[in-house]
Amino acid sequence: MRLTGVGRRYGIGGSWVLRGVDLDVRPGSLVRIEGANGSGKSTLLRLLAGIDAPTTGRITGRPRTAFVPERFPAALPFTAIGYLTMLGRVHGLSRSAAASAAALWLERFGAAEHARTRLSELSKGSSQKVAVAQGLLADPGLLVLDEAWTGLDQASRAVLDRAVTDRVAAGATVVYVDHDPGRLAGVPDAVFRVDAGRLVAVASAGTAGAADLRDGLPGPRGRSAARPAGPRVSIEAEGPSGAHLPEGLPGDPVHGPLGPVAPDAPAVHRLTVAAAHSDALLRALLAARPAWHIRAVTTTEPAHVEGEPGR
Amino acid sequence: MTALLRYQAALLARSHRWLPPLLLYLALMAIGVQTGEPILDSLGFAAAVLLPVTAWLVRVCVTNEPGAARDCAAAAAGPARVHLAALLTALLAATGLAVVGTAFVTAVSDPRGTRHEDLPVWSAAGAGLLAAVTCVLLGAAVGAVCNRPVLRSTAWAVPTTVLGAFVVLFVGGSPARAAVNGLVNGSRTATVTVPLVPLAVAAVLAAAAMSVACALSARQPGGGT
Repeated sequence: MRLTGVGRRYGIGGSWVLRGVDLDVRPGSLVRIEGANGSGKSTLLRLLAGIDAPTTGRITGRPRTAFVPERFPAALPFTAIGYLTMLGRVHGLSRSAAASAAALWLERFGAAEHARTRLSELSKGSSQKVAVAQGLLADPGLLVLDEAWTGLDQASRAVLDRAVTDRVAAGATVVYVDHDPGRLAGVPDAVFRVDAGRLVAVASAGTAGAADLRDGLPGPRGRSAARPAGPRVSIEAEGPSGAHLPEGLPGDPVHGPLGPVAPDAPAVHRLTVAAAHSDALLRALLAARPAWHIRAVTTTEPAHVEGEPGR
Repeated sequence: MTALLRYQAALLARSHRWLPPLLLYLALMAIGVQTGEPILDSLGFAAAVLLPVTAWLVRVCVTNEPGAARDCAAAAAGPARVHLAALLTALLAATGLAVVGTAFVTAVSDPRGTRHEDLPVWSAAGAGLLAAVTCVLLGAAVGAVCNRPVLRSTAWAVPTTVLGAFVVLFVGGSPARAAVNGLVNGSRTATVTVPLVPLAVAAVLAAAAMSVACALSARQPGGGT
C-alpha cells in the first residue's frame, strides 16, 4: 500500500491538516503513529482506512480494511452478536462464517455472555469490545486502530495486543494510534509522528535515525538491531537434530543455540521476542514442519535488552 | 452490496425512525383519498404525497447510523457504497409504500372519470404506480442532495429538504408535476396517460443526485482530527 503526496484539508481555503505525506507500507508490518492532540493523527488513520479521501495525492494498493474507532456508539438498535454478524457480512464473510467469527471474538474478549445483549445496554468497555471484534472478525489485510485499547479492561488489552501481532504475523498491516507510549513497545516495525501536518519518521528503536520515508518502511525482517525496553518472553524450543529454525518467525526473535551443538543431539534454541509476539511465535514453532517441541517459556525483565537480532 | 442493504434496512426497521414519515403519509392519505372518489384523482394525490415522504425517508436513512459505526462500515466496504446502500434502502422502502398505496387507492376508488365515464382499472392503476414511482425517485433525489454529505448541518438540511420537495412537486416542467397532472387531467377527459417520459427523466435525475451524494461521502470531516 502506497501513499503518494497525500494532503487533506477541510473546505476550500481551509488550512492543511496533512500535507505531502509519502508512505510505503509493506504487508506484514506494524506501524505506530504518534502526535499531539489535534495534530492530524486521526485524519491520517481515516485516510489510510479509506473512510476519508485525500484532497491531493493518491493512495493505492489498499487491501481489505477494517477500522476500530476509539469510542463505539451505543445508539445502534442491534444485539452485539447481531451487529457483528451483519458487519462480518459487510466485510465479505458468508453468513455462517460471520456468525461463528462474531461468537469467537466475543468469547476471546470475554464478552460471550453479552452476545444477546442490546448494544444500548452494554457498558462502555463491553461496547468497545464489540468495536474491536468488528475489526478483527474478517481477518483484514489492513487493520487501522484509533486508540482502540481505550476503555478495554486489562485482559482485553492483552487479547488485542496478541490479535494485532497475530495479524502482522499473518502478513497483514496494522496501523495504530494509542495514548499509552508503552502500548506494544518494541513491537512496531516503524513509528511515525504527525507534526505540523507532516509525517516524520521517529527513531523507533531509540538509536536508529529517521529513515527516508520514500524508501518505505522496513519489513519485519529488515529491522534495525536496536530494541527498546518492553516485556519480553524467552522460549526454549527443541527440534530434530540438525534442524534449522524456520524462516521468518513472527516477532523477529533474538535466538541462539543452547549448549554445545552435537551432531546427533536434538537442536535446542532459545528465542526471545516482545511479549506481544509470543503467542504467534509459539504457534509458528508448533506448526512448523518438522514441528518444534517447546521446553520452557519464561518472561524476562523489561529492561533487559538482548544483543544480536536473529538472522 | 446485499450485506450493506440488509444492514441498512435492519438499521431503518429497528430504529423506528421510519414512523414519523409513515404517519405523515397516512395523515395526508386520510385527508386526500376518500372512498368512491374518481380513481385517477386519488392516484394523482397519492403519488404527489410520496415525494416529500420519500425525501424524509432518505434523511432518516442517511442520518441513522452513528458516525463511528459508519466509519467501521465505510472502512470495510467504502464510504460511497455505504452511502449508496442508505439511499437505496430509503428508495426501496418508499417504493414499497408506492405499491401498497396504489393498490389501496385502486381498491377504494371509483373506477370512473370526473364525469362518470368508465375507465380501465388496470391501466389506471399502472399509470398511478408509475406516477408514484416518479415521485419516489424525485423525492430520493431531493433527499440525496439536501442532506449529509452535501448539506451537513441540520439547520440547513431540514428546511432545504422541505423546500426542495415542494419546489420539485409544483414547479413547471417538473416530471412529478407532469406525472400527477397527467393523471388528474386524464380524470376529466376520461383518458389514462402513462407517465413514461416523466418516469425516465426522474430516474436520470435521481441517479445523478445519488451519484453526487455518494461521490462526496468520502469528503466529510471526521469525528476527531
